[in-house]
Amino acid sequence: MNRWLFELAERPAARWLLLCGLLFALLSGVDVAGLAGLGGSAGLGGSAGEVAAAGDGLFDWLLRALFALACTAGLMVLSRLAMRTQVIVTWVLLLALFLLFFYSFQLSYEYIWGRLPYLLGLGLKNGFLMGAALSVFICVVAIIASTLLALMAALARLSHNGIAVGTATFYISFFRGTPLLLQILLVYLGLPQLGVVIDPIPAAVIALSLCYGAYMAEIFRAGIQSIAHGQREAALALGLRPTLVMRLVILPQAIRVIVPPTGNQFIAMLKDSSLVSVLGAWELMYMARTHGRAEFKYMEMLITAAIIYWVLSMSLEYLQSKVEKHYAKSDARHS
Amino acid sequence: MKRLTLAIAAAAMLATAPASHAGATLDRVMSEGKLVASTDPEYPPQSSLNADNDFEGFDIDVVREIASRMGVEVEFVTPGWDVITAGNWAGRWDVSVGSMTPTKARAEVLDFPAVYYFTPAALVVHDGNDSIKSAADASGKRIGVGVSTTYENYLNRNLEIDAEGVPAFSYQIDSPDIRTYDTDLLALDDLRLGDGVRLDAVFTALPTVLEAQKNNYPVRAVGEPLFMEPLAVATDKGDAEFDAKLAEIVSAMHADGTLSKLSEKWYGADLTQ
Repeated sequence: MNRWLFELAERPAARWLLLCGLLFALLSGVDVAGLAGLGGSAGLGGSAGEVAAAGDGLFDWLLRALFALACTAGLMVLSRLAMRTQVIVTWVLLLALFLLFFYSFQLSYEYIWGRLPYLLGLGLKNGFLMGAALSVFICVVAIIASTLLALMAALARLSHNGIAVGTATFYISFFRGTPLLLQILLVYLGLPQLGVVIDPIPAAVIALSLCYGAYMAEIFRAGIQSIAHGQREAALALGLRPTLVMRLVILPQAIRVIVPPTGNQFIAMLKDSSLVSVLGAWELMYMARTHGRAEFKYMEMLITAAIIYWVLSMSLEYLQSKVEKHYAKSDARHS
Repeated sequence: MKRLTLAIAAAAMLATAPASHAGATLDRVMSEGKLVASTDPEYPPQSSLNADNDFEGFDIDVVREIASRMGVEVEFVTPGWDVITAGNWAGRWDVSVGSMTPTKARAEVLDFPAVYYFTPAALVVHDGNDSIKSAADASGKRIGVGVSTTYENYLNRNLEIDAEGVPAFSYQIDSPDIRTYDTDLLALDDLRLGDGVRLDAVFTALPTVLEAQKNNYPVRAVGEPLFMEPLAVATDKGDAEFDAKLAEIVSAMHADGTLSKLSEKWYGADLTQ
């Protein structure tokens, strides 16, 4: 019996039927009539906001069967295309699903358009940046500072000096071991007790740099340690001083290992910059929340902010791929 | 940036905490010609952002009036509510006109020179609810409140309002299942999903509820207001002269009807008596 089942599962036709059945089963909890009406009174309403119930009539079941069949047919076509085309088509489909989901919210597009300049940061607030421009500014300054901190901490961690190792491990342990929000509040509220009063944005940049410096120190250490011992021995045998060995031989090779996880951290930092809204800085998340509250158009502003963050992250991903390509030059075939 | 460098230099010299000088806030306000007020623009009609990215609201108008009577400009900063009620503002802003209730706990870190209006505290239910008709019916139910608000204190039965002329109140809700949110409006958002879906009721200020109703939230207040909250202007501890000045200005605003007019404009009723 089992063997027969396995042999059946090997057949493509059986698999497609199974997929169709699964889709049908999944749709049984969904109000397809409402979805088909795309945000009519039965769908996810913007102002009503009530949870919609799944329909049970014959019409609903027929619709579900139709949906399942259509999806399966579409996927069958998709599976016959070339790989690159598959990737692009999948992206387009997922994006369309996303937008459909948001369309069903019945958002007020005039409201979004009216407040978009403030979310993007076109203009100044109190003589300084706001919105997405401020988020990017905080992120860039924190990236530079945290990279320097991380490099110093990693080198200290790998040194033979006990004091350096102790300081580095203490720093890394504390700033990885406490929440970033707590660190921001400590810098902003705690330092005034010592007489050092810092504004919200510098406080956020300091806390972000310290926190991400700690995480990235471990990434840097992993990158440096991944370089074969032979490289160091050969460089020393050539007569290079230890500092030059690190600078000219080890680090350039280590960067290839370091860049992908570091790019990860930078993208995460962009989102963590939203924590500074607790201190009242006018960055993107804060603008989205407050403009959403002004006329109770919360979803509009949050979705807009989400899309802006996503676009910014994609730009960072693109930059990262450029950097990776630059450092992968040694992989290129020499003709 | 310059201030940051100076601050780091000060830290390096192990500066001790500065002693509070009498009149430091008032001196700073008068010499800079600017009153820095904190506000939380997530609370229409008290404070919100309009289509020009400017502040508008009852609290905003009150601060603007106070500043003009002092003869200075006004500037707004927006720290979080928790940061404001924690005290020790370190001179970052001078005054908070944010509909804050002067409780005894807060009075330990802040001063409340003047009460400027009152707000009824209302129990709110979803329109589809018909089991909760008075406060006592809400006993044991899931009630949403804003964190660090007087409404949370009331439900925890440790509300102590440190102002004069507060009408007496009693605790009418037994052992509620308290759910806290960052702001009261998030609690209303959970309530609007449906009666009993996430919350059975919300406990918050009546004006907030009325504003939500205006924006098509299916909620309504039940029963009588559970307590009348005096809402006060708040300042950091240590400047009696500044407090006296604010008290003088606010009582003048009460006397000549400015506050009543503003209340009518934003709330449709005079809540300042």
